[in-house]
Amino acid sequence: MAKVSVQERIQSENERVAAQNRAAFAKAGALVLNLVSSPGSGKTTLLEATLDRLPAAGLRSLVIEGDVSTERDLDRVKARGGDGVQINTGGGCHLSAQMVADVLGRLDLASADVVFIENVGNLICPSTYDLGEDAKVVLLAVTEGDDKPMKYPAVFHESSLAVLNKIDLLPHLAYDIAKAEREVAVLNPRCEILRLSALKGDGMDRWISWITARLAAKRGA
Amino acid sequence: MHELSICQSMLRVVDGAMKAHEGSKLLRIFADVGRGSTVEPQLLREAFDVLVTGGPYEGAELVINDIPLAGRCRSCGRAFEYREIALGCPACGSASVDIESGLELSVRELEIDD
Ligand SMILES: [Zn+2]
Repeated sequence: MAKVSVQERIQSENERVAAQNRAAFAKAGALVLNLVSSPGSGKTTLLEATLDRLPAAGLRSLVIEGDVSTERDLDRVKARGGDGVQINTGGGCHLSAQMVADVLGRLDLASADVVFIENVGNLICPSTYDLGEDAKVVLLAVTEGDDKPMKYPAVFHESSLAVLNKIDLLPHLAYDIAKAEREVAVLNPRCEILRLSALKGDGMDRWISWITARLAAKRGA
Repeated sequence: MHELSICQSMLRVVDGAMKAHEGSKLLRIFADVGRGSTVEPQLLREAFDVLVTGGPYEGAELVINDIPLAGRCRSCGRAFEYREIALGCPACGSASVDIESGLELSVRELEIDD
């Protein structure tokens, strides 16, 4: 009987492919945001509102839509004049770096300033998979529990920005937004927090400014 | 439920490590799984049982080192576990906390019979 020391991360293969994706995105000079949330927290609505505003900010975008099945979300994106590709995971609960690598050839990256990757609606599984993005953005609706950050620590630990969506509903809810924000801060002091209503438009200017600043930082570096 | 694909990735790591020990029988896999890693140990075990059946690692045992999610306060230095840190350091109230362990997901060691 012998012991063999391995000391290798289980996700090392995914991380290797993610690094290749990241290099392809960097070559094109595009900022890549991986949007993660539970189902129903408003990712596609945020994307629609974002696509409406990006041209005024002088930004061109592409969308990689991840879904278990159907192209409904990509149809919504195209209805707003956006363009992109659909990845159907066929039952899978998350995108992987390889799935993104497989569709890169179908995207004209050089024509984009920002690439949004809309991950499958799930707060748990996507947090384990680096796709080669510049930043994970976690979206939480205030209609979910205010203890969500502590229930799903990994995704908050990995995210650069937490968007608290549907704040227009706050007057009707017993949601403690300060508690949710404090939990995010404890889990990840580097994670910025943005209160927003994709439907009503509150906070959208700050979201667009955040994107613009991240893009400038990436291109300046 | 991503434990099946996590388990496939784990077995690829094992394949790589076993290449240098061809002809040996794999007895045990020691894996580090942090409680904040998004992997449910029971589901990983079930996936493992399914995936190794009929293959070269059939009969091998998966030993999971379950690592608590733990942090330390940057202000006062107190160490604590996940449940205590929801709203900051229980000693001084600071929200400035470093997560020190609990995000691991790796294959640490194999035991083989050669
Ligand atoms: Zn303290």
